Amino acid sequence: MIEITEGSHAVAKAVKMSRPQVIAAYPITPQTHIVETLADMVADCELDAEYITVESEFSALSACLGASAAGSRTYSATTSQGLALMFEVCFNVSGMRLPVVMTIANRALGAPLSIWNDQQDSIALRDCGWLQFYAEDNQEATDLHYIAYKVAENPEVLLPAFVCFDGFILSHTYEPVDMLSQEDVDLYLPPYKPAQRLDAADPISFGMYATPEYYMEFRYEHDLAMKRAKNAISKAGKEFGEMFGRDYSALVEGYRLEDADTAIITMGSLCGTVKDAIDEMRTAGKKVGLLKIRCFRPFPSEEIRKALSHVENVAVLDKNVSIGAKGAVAIEVRDALYGKTIPVLGYVLGLGGRDVRISDIKNIVSLAESGKGDQFYGIRPEVL
Amino acid sequence: MCKTICPEGCIEESEDEFFIPDETYCKGCGICAEECPSDAILMEQEEK
Amino acid sequence: MAETSCELFDCGHRACGGCGAALASRLILKATGKNTIIAAATGCMEVFSTPYPETAWKVPWIHSLFENNSAVASGICASLKKQGRTEKVVAIGGDGSTFDIGMLCLSGAFERGHDFTYICYDNEAYMNTGIQRSGATPFDASTTTSPAGKCSKGNARPKKDLPQILAAHGAPYVATASIAYPSDVVKKIEKAINTPGPCYVQIHAPCCTGWGFEGEKTLAIGKLAIETGLWVNFEMENGVVTRVKKVVRKPVETYLKEQKRFRHLFKPKVNAEEIAKIQAIADKNAEKYGTDLKLKSKPGPVVP
Repeated sequence: MIEITEGSHAVAKAVKMSRPQVIAAYPITPQTHIVETLADMVADCELDAEYITVESEFSALSACLGASAAGSRTYSATTSQGLALMFEVCFNVSGMRLPVVMTIANRALGAPLSIWNDQQDSIALRDCGWLQFYAEDNQEATDLHYIAYKVAENPEVLLPAFVCFDGFILSHTYEPVDMLSQEDVDLYLPPYKPAQRLDAADPISFGMYATPEYYMEFRYEHDLAMKRAKNAISKAGKEFGEMFGRDYSALVEGYRLEDADTAIITMGSLCGTVKDAIDEMRTAGKKVGLLKIRCFRPFPSEEIRKALSHVENVAVLDKNVSIGAKGAVAIEVRDALYGKTIPVLGYVLGLGGRDVRISDIKNIVSLAESGKGDQFYGIRPEVL
Repeated sequence: MCKTICPEGCIEESEDEFFIPDETYCKGCGICAEECPSDAILMEQEEK
Repeated sequence: MAETSCELFDCGHRACGGCGAALASRLILKATGKNTIIAAATGCMEVFSTPYPETAWKVPWIHSLFENNSAVASGICASLKKQGRTEKVVAIGGDGSTFDIGMLCLSGAFERGHDFTYICYDNEAYMNTGIQRSGATPFDASTTTSPAGKCSKGNARPKKDLPQILAAHGAPYVATASIAYPSDVVKKIEKAINTPGPCYVQIHAPCCTGWGFEGEKTLAIGKLAIETGLWVNFEMENGVVTRVKKVVRKPVETYLKEQKRFRHLFKPKVNAEEIAKIQAIADKNAEKYGTDLKLKSKPGPVVP
C-alpha cells in the first residue's frame, strides 16, 4: 500500500515487520526518528521486541552481538560518530558471523563536526566484513531491510549487513513508499533459525582467540562467505521481485546505459539527481548513462566490468574520500576495469552535505570527456 | 579440601578416600601441599 | 581426565601454576551449574581458557571485546527474555575490564537493571598484557606502568571502590569474596545468581606471577590480605552492608613483605612513612566495615 511517509518512518515500519526480537539503539542525528518510531511501536504493543536503551553506540552493537549469539534476530541503527564508535564491535560481529542488520543514515564524520550527509562513515568501514547496501530512494531503503535480513541469515552467508541511506536527504524526506503488509513480510522472511547459538543444552564457545596457525583460515572463510553472498543477494532480490513486483536481483543497475558513451557511477540518493541530469543531457543529444551500485560489499567487480564494456568514459562520483588517495568507489571501479583501456576518472563531491545539483553532474560529464578528473569537485576557493 | 582449591581441578578422590592429582594436568604449583591440614601431600621435583 | 571430569571448568587450561583466577573459574562454575551462559571479557581468564580449537568451558560461553561483556550480557538477557528461556546470564571480567575500560557498559547494564550477575576476578592489574596498573591496583603497588623507582613509590592512587559504585546503581546484591575462602565464594555467587536484578561479586584472586610470590602461597596471600584489612569480605543488600568477615587484624607488613610488588617498601630500607599510609587504608577499611574482632583474653586487636 502506497504511503507518503518520512524515510525514517518507512524504515522503522520495515524493521517492525521484520520482527526483530531485540533492538538496541542509541540516538544520533539523523537516525533518531527511526529509533523513536520503534520505541513508540514497542510502547504501544505494536512491536513485540525487547528494546534496550543502551548508554552508547558501542554498547548498542555489543548488545546486538550478545542477543544475536543467543539466537535472536536483532536490529540497530546509527551513523557517523556512532558508527565510528562501533568500529571494534563491527569486526567482532562479522568475525563471529552474526547476522545483525543495521541501518546507517549516512552522515559526515568529524572533525570538523557535521550532521549533514556524505558516505564516509560506512565507506570507512568497507573492510569490516559486513554486507553493504546503498538505497537510491526511500522505497529501496525500505525494501532493502527485508532483503538484508534474508541474505544475512542465509546459512550460506551468515554475515551482518549495513543498509545505508543518505542522512536527511532520504531519512527526513517524505516520499511515496509502497509498504508491504505484515503477511507479505512473514511470507518472504521466515523467523530466524540459527544453526549455532549460546544454549546450555548444547554448549559452545564463541569468540575464542586464534593463534597464527588458525587465524588466516577464519578470515578466508569469512571472505568466501562474502563471495557467496552475491548469489544469495540475487536469489533473495529475485524472489522479492516475483512476490512484490520490485526486482532487486542485480547488485548494479544501469539507467540509459546500453548505448552510453559516458557512464556515471555512483551510490545512494545521488543516483536520483544523476538520472534527472542524464534525461536532460540525452534530450540535448549527449549519450550518457548511469551505473548505480546498490551493493557495495561484496563489491560487484564482474558486474561492473560487464556493464561498462562498451563505454568510452567513466566518471565516478564519490561522497567520500580516502585522504591522501582518492574516493573509494573510484579506486574499486578502476580495479574492476583493470586491463581495459577505458579511462576512469573520480570526483569527490557532496562532502559534509554540500549540495550536488543537476548542473554539477553536467559539468562533471564535460570534465570527464575532456580527460580532467581525479579531483575534489565544487571547492569554494573563497573559503580556502 | 585440596580437591576444592586446586586451580587446575585435577585432583581426584579414590575409593579409599585418598586424593590424587592427575599428573597430566598438574602444574606443580604446590597449593595443595601448602594448604593440606594433615600435610598429606609432598611436592617432588620431576626428574628429567 | 577431561572426558571423565564432571567439572564444568575443565583442566588443561593454560593458566600459570597456582593461578588465583583459575581457581576462581572453577568455583564460579561450581556455583552456577550448567544452565548458565557466560559473557567473558578479554583477559587472563579468557586467554588461558580458550585457545582455539580448545576450550575449558563446558557451558555456553562468548567472548567479544575487552570492554563490552556487560553490554553483550545485556543483549543475551534481552534475547533469553524474549525467547522465554531460563539460563542464568553471568558476565565475567578481570579488574582491568571491570574497573576501567568496561565501566561504561557496566554502569549502563546495572542502571538498566538487567537480570544478570557480574563477577570480577580481581588480580589488581592488567595481568594478561604484562602487569600494568588498573583502577584496582592498590596504593604503592609496583606495576610496569606504575613502577617503583627513584622518583616513584609505585601506584599513587588508592583502589577504586567499585562495589560501592555498583551498590549506588541500585544493585540488589553486591559482595566481595576471596579465593582464600572457596566455599564462601561459591555461596556468594549462588546468592547473586538467584537474586533477581543486576548483582556483583568481586573475587580477590592473588596473582603469583604479577604480585611476585610462589604459586603455592596463593591462598595464604589471600588470607593475609583479609587478615590485614586491605581486603574486606562483605555482602551488601540493597545498598546496606549485611555481613562482614571479621578478623583479628595483623599489621599490613605481614602481607606486604610477602610480595615482590611491594619490595621497594622494605628494600634497600624499610619505608615506614609509606607503610603507615597503607596501614591507614587498612584502618579505614576496618572502621568502615567493622571488621575488627576483639578477643576476650587480649586487650585488643594487634595494630602498630
